[in-house]
Amino acid sequence: MKQIANFIVNGKACELAIEPHMLLVEVLRDELGLTGTKQSCGIGHCGACTVLIDGIPTLSCLTPALTARGKNITTIEGLAEGTRLHPIQKAFIDYGAIQCGYCTPGMILSAKALLDRNPNPSREQVKQALSGNLCRCTGYVKIVDAVLAAAESMGKEASE
Amino acid sequence: MSQKLSVVGKRIIQPDAAAKATGAAMYASDLKMPGMLIGKVLRSPYPHAKIKRIGKSKAEKLPGVEAVITPEDVTQWKPFDRGLKDLPMIAGGYLVPPDEHILNERARHFGDAIAAVAAINEHIAEEALELIEVEYEELPFVIDPEEAMKPGAPQVSDVAEGNIGKHLSYPFPEGDVEKGFKEADCIVEGTFSTTKQEHCTAETAAAVAHLDVNGRINIWSQCQVAHMARREIAHIFNMPVSKVKLMTPLVGGGFGQRGSVCAEPICIALALKTGKPVKLEYTREENFTALESRTGFKYNLKIGFKQDGTLTAMQVYMLGRLGGYMGCGPMASVIGMVFGLGHYRCPNRAGEADMVMTNTPVSGAFRGFGNPAMMWGIEQLVDEAAEKLGMNPLKIRLKNIKKAGEIANMGLRLESTYLDECIKRGAEAIGWKEKWGKKKEGKMRRGVGIATMTHCSGAAPLYLDHSNAFIKLNEDGSADLTVHPAPLGQHIWGALSQIAAEELGILAEDIHIVTGDTDITLFEYGSDASRSTYAIGSATLIAAHQAKEQILERAAKMLGVSPDELEIKERQVYVKANPKKSIPVADVCYDAIYNFKGECLNISGKCSWEGRWNSSPTGAFFAEVEINTETGRVKVIKFVTAIDCGKAINPMTVEGQLEGGMQQGIGYGLTEDYIINKDTGVVESDNYDTYKMPGILDMPETEVVIIDKPDPKGPFGAKGVGEPGMVGVAPAIANAIYDAIGVRIKDLPITPEKVLKALGEKSQ
Amino acid sequence: MARLLKPFEYFEPRTVEEAVQLLSKYGHQAKVLAGGTDLLISMKKRKITPQYVVYIKSIPELDYIHYSQQAGLKIGALATHTAIADSAIIKDKFELLASACGKVGTPQVRNMGTIGGNICEGGPSQDSVPSLLVLEAKLKLISLHGERIVPIDEFFIAPFKTALQEAELLTEIQIPTPPPRSAGCYKWFTKITTVDESLAGVAVLMLLDSTDGICRDLKIGLCSVAPTPIRARRAEQVLRDKKIDNSLIERAARVAVEETSPRSRADYRKRMTGVLVREAISETWQKIRQLHLRERA
Repeated sequence: MKQIANFIVNGKACELAIEPHMLLVEVLRDELGLTGTKQSCGIGHCGACTVLIDGIPTLSCLTPALTARGKNITTIEGLAEGTRLHPIQKAFIDYGAIQCGYCTPGMILSAKALLDRNPNPSREQVKQALSGNLCRCTGYVKIVDAVLAAAESMGKEASE
Repeated sequence: MSQKLSVVGKRIIQPDAAAKATGAAMYASDLKMPGMLIGKVLRSPYPHAKIKRIGKSKAEKLPGVEAVITPEDVTQWKPFDRGLKDLPMIAGGYLVPPDEHILNERARHFGDAIAAVAAINEHIAEEALELIEVEYEELPFVIDPEEAMKPGAPQVSDVAEGNIGKHLSYPFPEGDVEKGFKEADCIVEGTFSTTKQEHCTAETAAAVAHLDVNGRINIWSQCQVAHMARREIAHIFNMPVSKVKLMTPLVGGGFGQRGSVCAEPICIALALKTGKPVKLEYTREENFTALESRTGFKYNLKIGFKQDGTLTAMQVYMLGRLGGYMGCGPMASVIGMVFGLGHYRCPNRAGEADMVMTNTPVSGAFRGFGNPAMMWGIEQLVDEAAEKLGMNPLKIRLKNIKKAGEIANMGLRLESTYLDECIKRGAEAIGWKEKWGKKKEGKMRRGVGIATMTHCSGAAPLYLDHSNAFIKLNEDGSADLTVHPAPLGQHIWGALSQIAAEELGILAEDIHIVTGDTDITLFEYGSDASRSTYAIGSATLIAAHQAKEQILERAAKMLGVSPDELEIKERQVYVKANPKKSIPVADVCYDAIYNFKGECLNISGKCSWEGRWNSSPTGAFFAEVEINTETGRVKVIKFVTAIDCGKAINPMTVEGQLEGGMQQGIGYGLTEDYIINKDTGVVESDNYDTYKMPGILDMPETEVVIIDKPDPKGPFGAKGVGEPGMVGVAPAIANAIYDAIGVRIKDLPITPEKVLKALGEKSQ
Repeated sequence: MARLLKPFEYFEPRTVEEAVQLLSKYGHQAKVLAGGTDLLISMKKRKITPQYVVYIKSIPELDYIHYSQQAGLKIGALATHTAIADSAIIKDKFELLASACGKVGTPQVRNMGTIGGNICEGGPSQDSVPSLLVLEAKLKLISLHGERIVPIDEFFIAPFKTALQEAELLTEIQIPTPPPRSAGCYKWFTKITTVDESLAGVAVLMLLDSTDGICRDLKIGLCSVAPTPIRARRAEQVLRDKKIDNSLIERAARVAVEETSPRSRADYRKRMTGVLVREAISETWQKIRQLHLRERA
């Protein structure tokens, strides 16, 4: 039976009637049209479906949507402010960290969670933080470069 | 060719990157249409079984189900060849007969399609699958190619007697191998085996189909060869080609797997049955079992050398496992022989292959095709010979690699090669001199290894290599370039923009790519064989050149000079001798379109390009590994790829291709194993919990060395670089392992168990 | 495998009492959902299709990490792997548990998955368990009939079968403070890649007398090498009350190998168990000696 659920998705409150067995990834993609969140393996191993729940990287393919009631959910669509890209998005573009782009939303969100709590990570810390996100195109090299560059540019922005 | 380039060679940002970074990018899996149904496929749990009966009434009665289709519902449509090789498109080559139906009455492998449903949502579609009742009659099955070739083995396919799908020979044999081996002072030989590697595209196979108001099939397809997929679809569904509109959205990874038709036939069948739009998106498990993955080989390889390291003969016999349908797999052997046996200068070469049908998921094209499999053995044997002859592995290679002007691996002239530089600069980057051949002691041992390779830039002369480009200049001096590569993540739109902009003297961002719709685009062979930049780039360059000539002609009139006195730079047409005299490209284009003097012209260019040559990219791969001799674990510490891909149109993209190739190559070498249960025929590694590709923590320190010297034939000197990145990775690792601990692993992947076993045998 | 879940009725109890009431009402048709990283995969694979799902992360009082010298460490069943791996007190005093929880799955799985879920899954390769075995953790299980405390080494019965009864809820993991001058560590090898299930995992906890260098106590816990996580008690005996040296460590490792009974990749797992036990004991021994040196200084 459908239940009413309230979420804050990308800063906006929304109310939905959802079945208990619906996954968060379904609600985001099918109900809210936020198709930036991707499904790739379905068993929590690839990280493509990663969203931030209260800032914490979470697998939306293994999360019944009702369990996220009342939470702040950030998807890839919530990072840019209007047309102004988030520094991590910009760095991913500038550093060639995006190829097919299907793992990119999850990667960027994992990176955001890292930089939000550790603005100045080492290369190794970046790798650890992204170790739950698989990529088949890039060999990860430019992804790590991009996250480190984003950290630097965010640091500069903050000190200005 | 010492052109001064202003757009080519720049690390430009990709046109589609921002959409991908913000989640706005639309893939087939993201598409949604009003009234769209969701399709699902019922797949065989057995490797070989006859479908005796299918009960579909329960599923049909489930509210929300709009269609349940079974093999008998699709008989009005034609059988097909998923690898699209049922046309005589291979010069002097072979045909693959159509050997597969949309749904099959006899399952030929685990995961074969038996029935399909379309329902108003995915939940109902999943439930409907469970309600379909299938009575299977299990049949004897065969997994192993050697078993499949024995008399009395279960017959897998109706079109391959004795299970021999194809017997193929090396298309460019030379000399007399027997004589060559007689002349040899040192003969090395071995049996090597390679695995069925899965592509692990981030996006699974997906398609959306519907029949539009004009009765045309509209299909959103990920296919890497869009126009040939359209032809095949028209053929299967008894339609004229003009009644099929195929659209290519962004694709979440291809690597060759989307070189065949994947979800399209079943998706269209459901759309035709229901009259409604249908989306069919495969699960990860279906991606593993229903689609093609890399062809696994076992082969005997023999190479002869003179005392001074000169090659005298090479010979191979390959046994390949095709699976339940023929698909693209047979060609993997030919590609392996062409690139492997043709890599070095060798007067006597021969090769044969038997490609065998088995009750296993289908084999096909994957980055490098058969080349990584073949180089796995060749590069190890070359090292073995070097040791026997007391030569350095670098030296024996430098001695035998071909030089420009010699006949290259496809019977064509080798236009350019800088493999010697790749070897030298790569060796420097890995620290070869300090690290190779040193005595190793202790529990943890390090070693370095090399492998080299060559590959192709396009499909010529093996396949038809036909590309088209059309470019038109808008009134503001911007341009629309109509081409149809598959946007798989290889940044082809950016590369083609750079080529067009360079030729036209405008900026890359001035080029808009018109693409992804067979109603609009001219014929395009597509994006495989490392050909997009080279072949579509060649077509683009010629089309842009035609347009440029029109600009110059018009500008010459406007400036009162002759066209050859002009040049275009940064959107401005200049008189070369007097740069103060100039006119914006935009003004020329505007004047041509809004011309009230009776000389209207939309400046444009069009090229049908057919590859008659093929510039070979070459590369040297260097691995440094560390082996724990107690556990047998191999860790790649550093990996260097030095590449001769001609002029790098965009060095950032080239690096990206090679770094990605390292990940796939390390997986091929060390971690990825497609496991089929021998007793049940069930695929046991069908998702990322059981099939392990390298993650970010498995990647070594990496370095890419781009030689960046132009090739005389490629557009602005570019050669193909899509596939080379993974070809030499696994053998470089194997050779580094030998350097570290003195053992050779000849069957992929290199597991800790195999390393320990080899170490144990060595110490005895 | 299906991508989606089958319908079920869903409950979000606010208290443990409410939760156990629901569990006893619905019996085997109900499943407890916490982090979901194991349960949801089983549901997608249709290995289980519960009619009722009781989501317990809605119970606020089950997510905590408390420590005092006397009472020891108390971890609420809903503490995530990330919380445990990052906990300053656990890193300081129970490092072997912190590193085991830091090894589980991926960052996302650690953010979602709970220690209670890891234990109750009851599989042979639960990374948190060997450390809990050697730390002699006790599990607090609550049902309508009250609570009972079960030592963790009595909890695992068979693969994916535990002592947890149908209507019982694991609420707390209680870990006594290890004696002073003890140390431990958790070592593992993954099956294939760096982020992967464990091929073998070994936890060691050792108490060493600084005056005579004699091992007063040693505990060895293993996972992924037997149908359930186990203690290698015979191997422990090899070193207990002995003066440690490398040959004794070797012998303990050999004995530990004999105590394993892996199913797949059996030879390799056994061999690796030997390597890990040896490394874990050696590393622990070094740690204690350094501890003693620091104390003397």
